[in-house]
Amino acid sequence: MSALVTLLILVAVVVVLGAIVVGIYNKLVTYRNRYKNAFAQIEVQLKRRHDLIPNLVETVKGYMSHERGTLEAVVAARNQAVGGLQQAAQDPGNAEAIRKLGAAEGALSSTLGRLFALSENYPDLKASQNMLQLGEELRSTENKVAFARQAFNDSVTQYNIYRQTFPAVVFAGMFGHGQDAALLEFEGEPIQQVPKVSF
Amino acid sequence: MATDFFDRQDAARRNTTRLVVLFVLAVLAIMVSIHVLLAGALGYLTYEERAADGPDWSLLTDPGIALLAFAGTLIVVGGGSLFKVAQLRGGGRVVAEQLGGRLLNPDTADPSERQLMNVVEEMAIAAGTTAPPVYLLEQEEGINAFAAGFTPDGAVIGVTRGAAQRLSRDELQGVIAHEFSHILNGDMRLNIRLIGLLHGILIIGMLGYFVLRMTAFSGGRARRSRDQGNAALPMLAIGAGLMVVGFFGTFFGNLIKAAVSRQREFLADAAAVQFTRQPDGIAGALKKIGGIATGSTIQSPNAPEASHMFFGRATSGFSALFSTHPPLGDRIRRIDPSWDGTFPEAAPGAPPVSASHAAATGFAPGAGTGRVASAAQALDHVGRPTEAHIDYAARLLDSLPDRIRAAAHEPYGARALVYTLLLDRDAEMRRKQLQHLERAADPGVFEETLRLVPIVAQLQTLARLPVAEIALPALRQLTANQYRLFKQNVAVLVEADENIDLFEWALQRILLHDLEAHHGGVAPPRVRHHALAPLQPQCELLLSVLAHAGHRDAQAAGKAFEAARQTLGLPQARMLDTGEADLRALDAALTDLEQAAPQIKRRVLEAAVACIAADQQMTATEAELLRAISASLGVPMPPLLGV
Repeated sequence: MSALVTLLILVAVVVVLGAIVVGIYNKLVTYRNRYKNAFAQIEVQLKRRHDLIPNLVETVKGYMSHERGTLEAVVAARNQAVGGLQQAAQDPGNAEAIRKLGAAEGALSSTLGRLFALSENYPDLKASQNMLQLGEELRSTENKVAFARQAFNDSVTQYNIYRQTFPAVVFAGMFGHGQDAALLEFEGEPIQQVPKVSF
Repeated sequence: MATDFFDRQDAARRNTTRLVVLFVLAVLAIMVSIHVLLAGALGYLTYEERAADGPDWSLLTDPGIALLAFAGTLIVVGGGSLFKVAQLRGGGRVVAEQLGGRLLNPDTADPSERQLMNVVEEMAIAAGTTAPPVYLLEQEEGINAFAAGFTPDGAVIGVTRGAAQRLSRDELQGVIAHEFSHILNGDMRLNIRLIGLLHGILIIGMLGYFVLRMTAFSGGRARRSRDQGNAALPMLAIGAGLMVVGFFGTFFGNLIKAAVSRQREFLADAAAVQFTRQPDGIAGALKKIGGIATGSTIQSPNAPEASHMFFGRATSGFSALFSTHPPLGDRIRRIDPSWDGTFPEAAPGAPPVSASHAAATGFAPGAGTGRVASAAQALDHVGRPTEAHIDYAARLLDSLPDRIRAAAHEPYGARALVYTLLLDRDAEMRRKQLQHLERAADPGVFEETLRLVPIVAQLQTLARLPVAEIALPALRQLTANQYRLFKQNVAVLVEADENIDLFEWALQRILLHDLEAHHGGVAPPRVRHHALAPLQPQCELLLSVLAHAGHRDAQAAGKAFEAARQTLGLPQARMLDTGEADLRALDAALTDLEQAAPQIKRRVLEAAVACIAADQQMTATEAELLRAISASLGVPMPPLLGV
């Protein structure tokens, strides 16, 4: 009789524990989904940014034929960033891919910065309608990227904190949540101050 | 079909109660079986010692054993159910994410996703709900969709990739209308409860399996010991018994679930035809399901649990009795009696034609302003939008400038859009508000706001609230930190001019009602008020504000209030003066009214419409207020269409 009671209590404990573990698993999945959704936001904006650059190069080319090197650097940095984005989009939880994307976007920002700094020397270019519009669009896209990145980093932080705290930390590794997701940081200067078109 | 939205909400609650009763009976049956099982097994243990003939059943009356069996069952089943329901209380997005859904970006560039979002937005405006988040089940090739969530506010819609790509716009509209009908009918609450209850019973069976395994395992080790071997047999019996009880419990549970679900599917199909007036749409979608090899099957391992939430059968291999959906042919024939029984061969992945649904007639403010149909008629459309409402919604969406739609579709621009909508007409106020934004908001958002000002200024008055509403899905994507800042800024903008203007109040009310629930995880409202009389002060305030808002002179306002009072049926109701009726108190009153029973809400809304219709004229302010009121009460009220 007492053995049976013990067994029943044991079983009840196991059931409760099981429920808790299932809850932890689901929460981990939910948080992971959330930061993946947040990454999708960044992806949209970065793609838009990448799409603007060929237009920019096309516009600038006519005026800045002497700055071939800078233009090529921009195109190369853009291609690098496109590749980085594709890889990171496949698995936003992959820290290495996120780090590479951050580096590539940072490099793109700094080459773009150089391009815009050089464009200061070409008053015709600076005043052209196309250039004004592109500068404007790049800047607003940049703001959106920054905002989406903030959302992504918030979600990643929430996931990481949950993953590292008790009781989730006990099971996280077992359920394939053993690694922290990486924050997305763009290396190099922020582009904000750069494509500002002065009138 | 005399039932309306409010009756069906009531019915959904009653059905839930009935289910709970059925479930309690099932649990009692389970308790008794387990008690018999335990008593028998323990009686067998003492059998040899007593050397009597036959097992000892005297333990059946032992109170200790009874307590053990009853308490144990209660803990296990109750705990299992509560756990599952608590988990699903997080709302539809939990279900969607567990099924492998990806939240669709409102500003997606993919044409088929774009089309899906447009159809959902249109349906939401037509039905008078906020646009639910849309999840795409990317791994699923079959044609299927589902709606999930505890309340209409927490609802999400999920669509498989197969459905998004293979269905035409009309077919997709039919499917989405079907899902909206589930949302509007309160089916989802029932669905989630069903999942929870079944889960509790399922655990009994799992427990039996667990006991069986454990005994077999320890029995193997202790084979040499006689005494222990003796004890193993009853344990095996208990394990097996629990499994059998669990099996029958789940068996009957599934039977109930399937029966309820089949009935609801027919209803939702009929409602979809009623919304769109296009039987071809939903019939076409059903035929396409029959025409492709994958049908409507869902691959996700979590699909069986949620099978009754889907548009089509998500799992295969069940007999008709267990099927959560009526046979495809039956469903098609109910919608399209002339069907010849053949399924078309669906061409995979036909890209959507990006033609706009509405003819380019432009958006005339035919709805809202102008004469109003009778209150009773307006309330009839609650939860049951018609083709006219969908047309209205499509034209409204079409009339919006691209810049505004683009801004509404991503979180960054959506915030700027809301700020812009809140800017005052008065130049001095506006300057103050902008100064605050420049200080407090993100610099980029401030610039975006400035850019939007001239475009928003050209919006039709009646398009302003819908613009904010289509921005909601994007705003839901703000993270907790971002939302906090947004909320602060909205509050400052609204209060900048010391007296809150009605539009600002309505906008803030609609936004926060939705976003608070989303971000704060506010529990769905419970019904606390079953009678109208105790709510008289709240009704007085609500109707007074409405009467003053729509009528400049006191006499006309008094007449409107009188009409409302008669409809409401509270003869003692007293009209408040303009000074007494402040909007902050209205917030509190609406929170109370939200916890009223559906029939009470109906009376209140009828009175509100009567108040508006008293002078046969509806102003934009009245329309906006009504929208905010119905949204606050959780009642999906389609836009009032002028006659």
